[in-house]
Amino acid sequence: MKMKLHASVLALSSAAVMCAAGAANAWSLEEAAKPYAGTTVDVLFLDRPGYNAAKEMLPEFEAATGIKVNATTVPYENALGEQVRDFVAGGDIDVALIDLVWIGNFAENGWIEPIDKFTSNPELADPELDMADFFPLVLNAFGGWNGTVYGLPFDNYSGLMFYNACMLKDAGFDGPPATWADLKDVYGPALTKDGKYAFALQSKRNETQSADSFARMLWPFGGSFLTAEFKSNLNSPESQAGLNFRQDLMKYMPEGIVAYDHSEVVNGLAQGDIAMITEWSAFYSTLASPETSKLGDCLAVAPEPTGPAGRKPALGGFSLAVATQADDAEKAAGYLFIQWVTSKANAGKYLELGGVPARQSAYADPALAEKYKFIPALVESWQAGVPEFRPRFAEWPEITEIVQEWGTKMMLGEVSVEDGAKTIGEKMEAVLTTAGYYDGKKPLAQ
Amino acid sequence: MAAVTQKRGLALEALLLVEICAFCVFPFYWMVTTSLKTQVVALQSPPAWLFTPTLANYTEVLFEDKVGIALINSIIVAVCTTALAVGLGTPAAYALARFEFRGKTDLWFWFITNRFVSPVVLAFPVFLISRDLGLRDTHLALILMYLTFTLPIVIWLCTDQFRSIPKELDEAAMLEGASQWRIFRSICLPLAMPGVAVSAILSFIFSWNELLFAYILAPKAAKTAPAMAVTFMEGYSVPYGKIMATSTLIVVPVLIFALLASKHLVRGLTMGAVK
Amino acid sequence: MTTRVRRSTLIGFLGPAVAALLLVGIVPLGFAVWKSLHYFNLTKIAQSRFVGLENYIFVLTDPVFWQAMGRTALLFAISVPTQIAIGLTIALVLHRPGMTLFKTLTRLSLVLPMATTYAVVGLLAQVMLNQKYGVINQMLGWVGIDAVNFIGDPTNAFIAVVMWDIWQWTPFVALVLLAGLSTVPPEIEEAAELETRSPWIILRNIQLPYLIPSLVAVLILRTADTLKLFDMPFTMTRGGPGAATEFIAILIERVGNRQFDIGLASAQSIIMLAVTIVLARLYIRLFYREVR
Repeated sequence: MKMKLHASVLALSSAAVMCAAGAANAWSLEEAAKPYAGTTVDVLFLDRPGYNAAKEMLPEFEAATGIKVNATTVPYENALGEQVRDFVAGGDIDVALIDLVWIGNFAENGWIEPIDKFTSNPELADPELDMADFFPLVLNAFGGWNGTVYGLPFDNYSGLMFYNACMLKDAGFDGPPATWADLKDVYGPALTKDGKYAFALQSKRNETQSADSFARMLWPFGGSFLTAEFKSNLNSPESQAGLNFRQDLMKYMPEGIVAYDHSEVVNGLAQGDIAMITEWSAFYSTLASPETSKLGDCLAVAPEPTGPAGRKPALGGFSLAVATQADDAEKAAGYLFIQWVTSKANAGKYLELGGVPARQSAYADPALAEKYKFIPALVESWQAGVPEFRPRFAEWPEITEIVQEWGTKMMLGEVSVEDGAKTIGEKMEAVLTTAGYYDGKKPLAQ
Repeated sequence: MAAVTQKRGLALEALLLVEICAFCVFPFYWMVTTSLKTQVVALQSPPAWLFTPTLANYTEVLFEDKVGIALINSIIVAVCTTALAVGLGTPAAYALARFEFRGKTDLWFWFITNRFVSPVVLAFPVFLISRDLGLRDTHLALILMYLTFTLPIVIWLCTDQFRSIPKELDEAAMLEGASQWRIFRSICLPLAMPGVAVSAILSFIFSWNELLFAYILAPKAAKTAPAMAVTFMEGYSVPYGKIMATSTLIVVPVLIFALLASKHLVRGLTMGAVK
Repeated sequence: MTTRVRRSTLIGFLGPAVAALLLVGIVPLGFAVWKSLHYFNLTKIAQSRFVGLENYIFVLTDPVFWQAMGRTALLFAISVPTQIAIGLTIALVLHRPGMTLFKTLTRLSLVLPMATTYAVVGLLAQVMLNQKYGVINQMLGWVGIDAVNFIGDPTNAFIAVVMWDIWQWTPFVALVLLAGLSTVPPEIEEAAELETRSPWIILRNIQLPYLIPSLVAVLILRTADTLKLFDMPFTMTRGGPGAATEFIAILIERVGNRQFDIGLASAQSIIMLAVTIVLARLYIRLFYREVR
């Protein structure tokens, strides 16, 4: 049965080749997808604005192509585990959803296909693909590993500062703090009163702790996870300054901040209990919608504050790549879906439905900045950034667990900043030793 | 005077009983009412006790989020594993109650130890094995793994039940030339039905409630209801109404079963240690 | 007074059940032992290799593992005595004659918590304990207590887990003890009530001996369930904040499912299993006389 199917797919695609030869420059999605009508593409989605936007767009794709996209929604915290287990077990996922910190892992395990396998195929590649239109930082960080591009950026974030302009105004501030130091020393004391807090830094013990809390405080102060030799850099004066700053800043945050995940800080700002948060751009739609937020016109957006080392906003996001375990028809269909959902042509619609495209052209219209207040800050943040904001190598899943555990212990005061950083450093180096970075078995890529 | 004290004692006792009931039932009340709230009402501070109820959460989880399918998976898995456990367990229980053989104590001990083994010990190796056998994400994998806790329950409850059946019945049948199988099937099993029923209900409840195996072994097609409930815990937003609607749908069937078996539940849960 | 039967009959009766439990219980266990001797990480299968007892040495000297064990023991030490104390009180009240209908209703409501899906208990706890929207904090407010940050503070989160464990299992303890009380011959109880008015003396001298089997059953089962405890804290706190509610099963799940280090997780679970078996044997040796 399966053999037969393959055979017919083969026949169909050779037919397509002949057609294409006849009309080489008339690429259309419908034509390209013809051989794959009826194919089902399995992918994991999260319950976040970008995915909900894509889900709304899907019927159009399915109608045009006859390809069925079967998106299963999972919580972020399960998404890595479910995919790893699926790939290890040879399951049915055809398109991988890759957080930028998983890309090294997925690529090294050979679970995802390099994108040029498809972009170099004229049958499949949309002439309008225009890879150069993606923000280069975003394409490289989210979709690329070690010089090869695997995935196309799909659900894209930059850390931004969202704030309640009315609360700031009442306290006598015309604008947001330009530097982290100002935030702590000037805005902090002025805005923390009457059960309200100046700031909240989501720090729950999961990826939020490592990405949103720990890493966010390292980079602006000149710190980093690793030195050039891949040794721990967490006890350098710069890293220590950043981590100690985080400890001091907790004075102006709600109690129990280590239990705050995204939903809690966003809701705190939305309800008017917290004046400023640094959160992913994706939350704009939640904060702007009157259904989920009381902010109204008080909502304002700025780039993250700068530190002694400049502006180093958090960088995060997901790309979609074709999984190697898919069969050929699923691979082709999966690629067509990825190409379509991240395309230039659909970027405007995606934005309108609550997604954040990584296409430079999507933000070119200055009128958009009126409608979506986060756009100028986002575009500015994506001009330059640190791709290795969190190291993206295969060992990150192990290291993030260490950072999560000791990072929260640090914040809770169960261990001093210095000792905690030392412990993380030792455990991190142990993981990297096992991986073979120090005896030259593995290139120092992050 | 004594009458007054007695009256007061009674009033105190009644009050205590009301408190116990409230303590047990209130969380369910809160679960059901929260499931009838919209997200805005659910996130009101202080929480609302009076509000306009909506069934939107139920229609949403049942039809959009595939909780309906998960419930069907749960039923399939729980029913099959229960049937299998009863089919395999009752003869074994009969043998433990009636026959004399070497190593019986050790066998008994091995059975009871299974009740103690945490699923987390077996879950990862079983994941790897099921991958090799192509059983991943199938009902069968869960049905088989749930035998680790349903089979001991059945064996233990039923051994107890068989022991309580007078041996004279067996002996009389034996004199008439009936085989052990016949005695088991036609005489003892029907008499042991109460114990079998209770062990079946308990097996069903335990299988229905299981999370860890389901979470690791059945990520998609065979996903059961408890594993489904966990998937709503996304850090980006917490849909309380939906979570509670799903919870209500999961809990109601087991509660009905538990109430049906309430008379024998204790004996079952303590593996017959308390009669 | 049991029968000797032919071997084939014995195998016919016991064989299928034993085979099934061997298949689903012992084979995976053997596999776990084998994997525990390897470096085996799902995200690095290519680097898998035999490492002997390295994983075991790591676990045995790993403070995180023993902290999780200690936390599990602490949970047991706090919640089980509380459950027995409250459960005994409830059982004694229900055991007294009178108000039959009312008591039947109470008995039925006691059945509910212990049958509730454990994962749902955790979700429910999250909803009810929320600092801002939670009904429990609202109720505390009525009696003049400030809102408590249950989930966000390490100590409070631990207390919250204890509280919900008590909610779910006190009814069970009460019903087990009630069953024990019903084994006390009524004549003896009545005779004692003529002698003394103190319920305490009756409890100690008359009822307690009959309660011993129930108490033993409670101890054994609560030990097993506490070691297994996963669903409720997993859905309520996921082991947090920090590691405040990281019990042993949660730790193992994290290592295997999120660090993907199946080798290490296997070693951890084998050690946990050893502890479980030692405890089970100890209990059964000490108390059980069921075996014939």
